[in-house]
Amino acid sequence: MDYDVLVIGSGIGGMESSIKLGDMGYKVLLVEKEASVGGRMILLSKVFPTLDCASCISGPKMSSTINHPNITTKTYSEVTGIKRRPDGRFTATVKEKSTFVDWAACTGCSDCQTACTVAVPDEFNADLAARRAAYIAFPQAVPKKAVLDREGTSPCIGACPAGIKAHGYVSLVRSGKDEEAFQLVLDATPLVGTLGRACYAPCESECTRTKLEGPVPIRLIKRFAADQHYAANGATPSGPAVEVAEPNGKKVAVVGSGPAGLTAAWQLARQGYQVKIFEKRSQPGGFLRHAIPSYRLPHEVVDADIANLTSIGVEIECDAKIDDIAALKDSGYDAVVVATGTQNATPMNVPNEDAAGSVNGLDFLADVANDNAPDLTGKRVVVVGGGNVAMDAARVSLRLGAADVKVVYRRTRAEMPAHHVEADDAEAEGAQFEFLVTPLEVLATDGQVTGVRLQKMQLGAPDASGRRSPEPIQGSETSVACDMVISTIGMSPDATLYENVVTVGRGKRIAVDPHTLQTEVPYLFAAGDVATGATDITRAIGAGRRAAHMVDRWVNDQPMTGFTALDDRIDTIGHDTVLSRQTAFGHRNPIKGAVDLTQLPRDFHEIESPLTEEQARAGAGSCLDCGVCSECQECVHACPADAIRMDKRDVENDFEVGAVVVSTGYKLFAADNKPEYGWGRYANVITGMQMDRLLAPTRPFNTVLRPGDGKVPERIAYISCTGSRDAQVGNPLCSKVCCMYSIKQNQLIMGALPLADVTMHYMDMRAAGKRYDEFYEQAKDMGAQYIRGRVSKVTEKENGDLVLRYEDTEGTGEIVEAEYDLVVLAVGIQPNRDVERLFTDEELGLDEYFYVAEPSEDLDPGVTDVPGVFVAGTASGAKDIVDTIVHAGAAVAQVAAHLEKAEQATKAEVLA
Amino acid sequence: MTTTTQRSLRDPREVIREEMAMHAVIKAALADGPLTVPQLAEAIGHPAVEVLYWVMGMRRYGHLVEMPDEDDEGYFPYALPGKGA
Repeated sequence: MDYDVLVIGSGIGGMESSIKLGDMGYKVLLVEKEASVGGRMILLSKVFPTLDCASCISGPKMSSTINHPNITTKTYSEVTGIKRRPDGRFTATVKEKSTFVDWAACTGCSDCQTACTVAVPDEFNADLAARRAAYIAFPQAVPKKAVLDREGTSPCIGACPAGIKAHGYVSLVRSGKDEEAFQLVLDATPLVGTLGRACYAPCESECTRTKLEGPVPIRLIKRFAADQHYAANGATPSGPAVEVAEPNGKKVAVVGSGPAGLTAAWQLARQGYQVKIFEKRSQPGGFLRHAIPSYRLPHEVVDADIANLTSIGVEIECDAKIDDIAALKDSGYDAVVVATGTQNATPMNVPNEDAAGSVNGLDFLADVANDNAPDLTGKRVVVVGGGNVAMDAARVSLRLGAADVKVVYRRTRAEMPAHHVEADDAEAEGAQFEFLVTPLEVLATDGQVTGVRLQKMQLGAPDASGRRSPEPIQGSETSVACDMVISTIGMSPDATLYENVVTVGRGKRIAVDPHTLQTEVPYLFAAGDVATGATDITRAIGAGRRAAHMVDRWVNDQPMTGFTALDDRIDTIGHDTVLSRQTAFGHRNPIKGAVDLTQLPRDFHEIESPLTEEQARAGAGSCLDCGVCSECQECVHACPADAIRMDKRDVENDFEVGAVVVSTGYKLFAADNKPEYGWGRYANVITGMQMDRLLAPTRPFNTVLRPGDGKVPERIAYISCTGSRDAQVGNPLCSKVCCMYSIKQNQLIMGALPLADVTMHYMDMRAAGKRYDEFYEQAKDMGAQYIRGRVSKVTEKENGDLVLRYEDTEGTGEIVEAEYDLVVLAVGIQPNRDVERLFTDEELGLDEYFYVAEPSEDLDPGVTDVPGVFVAGTASGAKDIVDTIVHAGAAVAQVAAHLEKAEQATKAEVLA
Repeated sequence: MTTTTQRSLRDPREVIREEMAMHAVIKAALADGPLTVPQLAEAIGHPAVEVLYWVMGMRRYGHLVEMPDEDDEGYFPYALPGKGA
């Protein structure tokens, strides 16, 4: 048996049970769902009727609990299931939720929460104020350790094939930390400005805000951060763009300087590798420079991004075509990364394809990028294909002066592989589309293109990709007259570099292990389109990061694992979960980039405008913080103990225990279930728990202020029995504590605010107990007013003051209205029905009010209807602190009797 | 899930989430001296109930400090640390 007793919940009942059982020599496992022991008592101001400081008397209990030699405490943990075994013992499954902080290293210094960029309601201050996603539960927390509130990976991050922390840089820009946002993206890739312009932003497609009025402009926020950085620091860094590890004496060659190669080189160089990139063209950048037109991605932006790379010592040799990988390796490199992309255009294989005026899209775009553009003034251009290259070729043709540009595609618009924005923009600029046609022949006269003969098509059955296959309509041909034909029907890798070294896969791709990107030749890795076929920038960047990680593992003879950026993300949180956190959402007009689209554009100026600072802040401000923690890494940088562990994960274990004590406490009545009192609609109507926080030494405000405007209240009213003794809300029971905690608060308010008038509207006063009635009389002597009569309604005035309507049952009997600055609802106690989920193969009996049932509560308090399971404190019904401790003592005695009886039975069985 | 009207209170989670974006706005408004919550609300054009959330969040993490209520009007002024504090 692992433990004699499992105690669930560490409020005063759970702590008392654990300490007493531990003192008796039993081994106790105490499980608490929050990050600190203490339950609600530690959050109170003082306790009645002694007015002892709640912290002062529960603090030592908390410390005793956590330090007791016989108590093992698991905070931030949950019991997910309990099963009773045939021998009468129990198997309890306990999930230790990840705190994402190494508590052995954490000193509780608070630097993480000060640096954090995400604000959320502080449940430990009854939602009156904000805490941070990185937080310490409360100042007296035991243990006083930090937790990162991560409910899942934010959808924007989960959708990024590059593993870039979109939520992180959005939250940084929201906080005005633009340079930190740039650095966060730079941590993944040097191509920050490039991504800010040319990425297709899968993050935005998955943004939860899309379910409301439109996505956060994530890509443009990244561009904003990049533009700010380059404007402030220049396009060429004066020193290393990032911190780089000491040289490790290892050398890696990267072949190809597209996004995969550049990113792999970046990551390796940061780790201390000497990296050299070999580029066969005369300028680096791959498709970023030679395929994406400069009106979408200016070359100076690519240059600035690549300068990040060279600033940390990466050497780029251009006009350096590699023909022999083995010779390259033997020239002194420990590993080689091939990232040569998909350079070969797929031919149309139709007659006259080589006529003058017939070109492929890749060559056409590269010529334009290298200042070798053809003059298309007044020319008619036909672009064959429906992908992004086709759209680029069409729009570039217009800019080169073409009078007429027609895109011909064999399927319909719905099947076009081009991004819909590219197709829409091409059409807006004047490109025409003809669908369901495929080229049969390039028409030429004297070797010069004069047109294209086309076969009309229709859609047949879906192919392997799920798209309906185009089928020729026999006898239906057409032709289009033109001066130039640009073929963009596909592209594939150039396998000549590696076909004699490793296996060539489908589509001439280099064959790699998709997890490690290692080829069958151990020193040779491949990243990006050369291994996957044509994809996009983000996938290439993700592959570059993976290749760099795996090269490092292989070079250092480490297991080929641990690429956490993409392989170990926690589950992405669902949109519905995010949206369910709020009852209502304010409308925001979506912020979109301004794109300058004109018919027949004739120059290559960048068509998309950057966000203004105001737009960037507002756009970032619309983020819903889906995962809660944004992964901005500010806590990682701030923590002096290096204790943040983003890669920590939940751990679940089974424990065998001899008995169980349920001390799961209570829930407070949800005050918005009494709409006539206005909680949640009127800012100056608060609950008793909220007032206790305002009165506590660790209060959220500097003193007792009303939440509506920060005014020190002078007229404060209490409404008793809110949610208690009220069949209308389903709770006919008295909560036993509301009268007394209200009287306690009345006295404390009069101490804190000597000029304040305090009035309590009550049904009847329940002050039974030692010194309780005296406590009530003392409050009256201090000046508190007590008016008998149920309040029927609260209304709000324009200035935030509140009007209470009630019947004066002790006076004239008339309906009276009274005006106050602040109204406190003395909310009652309700059962915590979470207990219903504790037992997986049998039910723990509940009474008719859904508290844990004690079948013989008069004679056997603490005993439930499951042998070996006991209940302590308010889990079985409303109790004040004193009664809770007494009840816990009863449960402890019952547990001890049960365990002793079980042990004697076992001994008797052995002797028999 | 509904959309809020202008007069009703916004969901506290939504208001609190905006605190980070409001830091610069509030700090700019306090650059010339301390302001109470209603004064700050008027200065930046947001409801006082929302400004209070932001002010208390900023106060908690050291971006603001409260000043004495010297005119005894029932409202504490808040200031940037070191700026009249």
